[in-house]
Amino acid sequence: MHLGTRIRAVALASAGLFVVAACGGSTGTPSANLAPAAQQILRVNTGVEPNSFDPTQQTYTYEAAVGRNTFESLLKPKADLTDVQAAAAKSYDVSSDGLTYTFHLQPNAKWSDGKPVTASDWVYGLQHFLNPALAAGYVDPFFDGTIAGAANYGSVDVTSASAIDSFLSGLGLSAPDANTFVIKLQHPAAYFKWVMTLWVAVPLRKDVVESAAGGTFPSTDTTKPLAWANNANTIVGNGPFKISEIASKDHVTMVPNTNYWAGTAKLQQIIYYYISDGNTEFSKYQTGALDIANVPLADVTVVRGDSVLSKQAYLYPQLTGFWMDFNAKKAPFDNPKVRLAFAKSIDRDKLANDVQHGTAKGLASFIPNGMAGYDTSDNTQSFDPAAAKKLLSDAGVTADTLNKFKLLTRNSTGSKTLNQFIADQWNTNLGLNIQLDVIDSKTVTSRIRKGNFDIYGPSGWGADYPDQQDWMDIWFAASCGSLNFGCPTLAGYDALVQKADSELSQSQRNADYLTAQKMLIDQAAGAFLYQPYEYDLVAPYVKITHTAFDDQFAPGDQNYFSAYITTH
Amino acid sequence: MAVTAGRPKGGALLPARLSALSSSRAGSLTIFIIRRLLWMIPVVFFVILITFFLMHLAPGSPWDRTGGRQLSAAVTHNLDIKYGLNKPEYQQFVIYLGNILHFDFGLSYQYENKTVTSLIGEGWPYTAILGGLAFLVIVPVGVGLGVLAALRQNTRVDYVTMGFATLAASFPNFVVGALMVVVFSVMMSKWTQHAFFLPSADFGLDDHLIMPVLTLALLPIAYTARLTRASTLDTIRQDFIRTAWAKGLPERLVVVRHVLKNSLIPVVTTLGPTFAILVTGSVIVETVFNIPGIGRAFVVAVTSRDYPMILGTTVLFSVVIAVANLIVDVAYVFIDPRVRLS
Repeated sequence: MHLGTRIRAVALASAGLFVVAACGGSTGTPSANLAPAAQQILRVNTGVEPNSFDPTQQTYTYEAAVGRNTFESLLKPKADLTDVQAAAAKSYDVSSDGLTYTFHLQPNAKWSDGKPVTASDWVYGLQHFLNPALAAGYVDPFFDGTIAGAANYGSVDVTSASAIDSFLSGLGLSAPDANTFVIKLQHPAAYFKWVMTLWVAVPLRKDVVESAAGGTFPSTDTTKPLAWANNANTIVGNGPFKISEIASKDHVTMVPNTNYWAGTAKLQQIIYYYISDGNTEFSKYQTGALDIANVPLADVTVVRGDSVLSKQAYLYPQLTGFWMDFNAKKAPFDNPKVRLAFAKSIDRDKLANDVQHGTAKGLASFIPNGMAGYDTSDNTQSFDPAAAKKLLSDAGVTADTLNKFKLLTRNSTGSKTLNQFIADQWNTNLGLNIQLDVIDSKTVTSRIRKGNFDIYGPSGWGADYPDQQDWMDIWFAASCGSLNFGCPTLAGYDALVQKADSELSQSQRNADYLTAQKMLIDQAAGAFLYQPYEYDLVAPYVKITHTAFDDQFAPGDQNYFSAYITTH
Repeated sequence: MAVTAGRPKGGALLPARLSALSSSRAGSLTIFIIRRLLWMIPVVFFVILITFFLMHLAPGSPWDRTGGRQLSAAVTHNLDIKYGLNKPEYQQFVIYLGNILHFDFGLSYQYENKTVTSLIGEGWPYTAILGGLAFLVIVPVGVGLGVLAALRQNTRVDYVTMGFATLAASFPNFVVGALMVVVFSVMMSKWTQHAFFLPSADFGLDDHLIMPVLTLALLPIAYTARLTRASTLDTIRQDFIRTAWAKGLPERLVVVRHVLKNSLIPVVTTLGPTFAILVTGSVIVETVFNIPGIGRAFVVAVTSRDYPMILGTTVLFSVVIAVANLIVDVAYVFIDPRVRLS
């Protein structure tokens, strides 16, 4: 999950922290105080206009917020995140060797134009997504170690239609009958059920795509296959809602898909606005122009002290973690002791309370609270300035050496505030004088990808799905420069995680991932910092059930099908 | 003040037979316009050339993400092919020039399958409304202040007006914008318990536009006021004004009919540069106030290294400024019959 300008991957958390946002705990039957249809309108801000309305091309949470409501994946996470449950697939079977996934589609599934959804629509949708010429951004989990025949995704000659066609027809995707969709894998991958919950794995209608394109097109064409997604009339989906209006620069409106297999949604309109300024979003909520809004960091204490707003506020953890990267390819950060000394001299509780105003929780381990693999028993990185100083002197590194290094910082207010705090912690607790190097964001990305930095942060990851594989692959040696930037050398890590990725026994996987996480913590692959919380306002008349981390922007946005507005 | 001052003389570009037209005034005007339009071609070419190579020099690729999962090498390789970035830069440049000859400005990298032309079309109304309103404020306020200061020369009115103009001219608009937000949005909202304040961002044809329009208009108002004052002072010392007073005309008639009409000629010539200030100012004002016009689209394109969008907006800005200058020069001919086009 991208941690871009605004991160809204919402985490399910342990019992004490999680607020089931039935918003005030409604009692009685849901329809008892249902507002009339004319009032069934939900107005939310996603902040940024989607770059595409084709879910297979969406990579950011603000885009998937639309894609997930207009299209439906085969599976979705259970509310407690322990497993997947039925969605567009009524059920699924896995062969005993773990290589064949058979999905039984909902028998009465229909497209928003009323035609039945067939298994061949699923094959077509995934072939469209995996066409290398279209270069979809979120394709990695599907070709990297999963779908059979997709491993050479990166080496297909995208200028040759025959090369692309033979790649696509060689993929392990088949439709033995109209209601059965089968996917074959390269090797066993217990996490594949989670991959199939992603918003990019959806069916598409060949006739709709081709008629919007003005006829058939060669597989090398990079614009015609996407033409359907530019116009609300040709966006035919299988999800609970359909797009009724695309108002560029301002909003997108969704209305119920009356052909949805599970019935018609109560909400008659969902409007996603593109207000990029958080303060404007907050003031629009206060004037009643938005029904759900995020609280800007600067206003967190205001909301807490407000007798009305504080009752409408929801605080819940995101399945996200942040850490600092040390360039382990350069001395002295190639020495785990030096990295650990830096990790041990950050007061994470102070960070969560002073910098994040309590909308975060210090985390000295890697996997966040709320998903499999969360474990805080290893306290090697916990705050201990005396031990940190000793580690530095053991490593024989002087302050003069370390003071030459700069903390590379993106020029956003959030990054600058956080990094100033972290540099102050190091300078105070280790007796150093580390300075910030603040530059524009694109240049920072370019530099960290090339390893052209000393210390960089905050690096972050938000769960794509609540399985450890999504997290542990970040630290593979092969992921250096793309998923991790410090590039530490971790002996035995890759083999251990690869074993866990293809292992079928869940308890064995959990044990292996735990060992791998211990390596990350003990050798300070990064200095793990904190888990962020979402702090949102929800109007009292909005009834939503927000269940899981896969909420994209606002609480409950994965379950707008069952959301409704009460009389007010 | 020569109309074509500072601009290249373009006679050599024109075929000889066209100069036969110059016998009549309309003919010479037509030749003047054609010549100036032809000169826009090399101007735009060099704008593209400089922009193209500068933006490719900037560190960071369009496919670098500013956070989280970076695109894999397989995907970026295919994106390069999709958008033609796998070719050498000089080839990309030639291809781009070929495309814009038939008004194909390419596809945005940021918005899937959207052309630069359609994105500019979406942003244009916002920028036009903002600039148009600013223009409507600049001319009356700037001229009014200038005339007022001149008529009350060396009085308190003059000092206050010119003091304001000097301040306004020396404050950059991103400072003015931010200060206005602090005072009229943040502090006023606090003082009035959220009862009254100006919205600091977004776009609407109401109080949303007050601060952006003022921010954009402030610098041109200052320029116009100072220039109007100077030229009005020049005019009121002329003999024909003394005659107007002597024959007992009321002050209103003297000022409007005789002083203003003559003192405004130099002011008109500054409208071209004013237009340029509005265009470049929109880049900052739209960013500060979150207005989804072309100025903000340009800034977003630069920060995301959306090359076709950077080029498209830059070409548009340069053409708009060139055309505005041309219109002002032509208008000048009609205002002052003494002006010769050569």
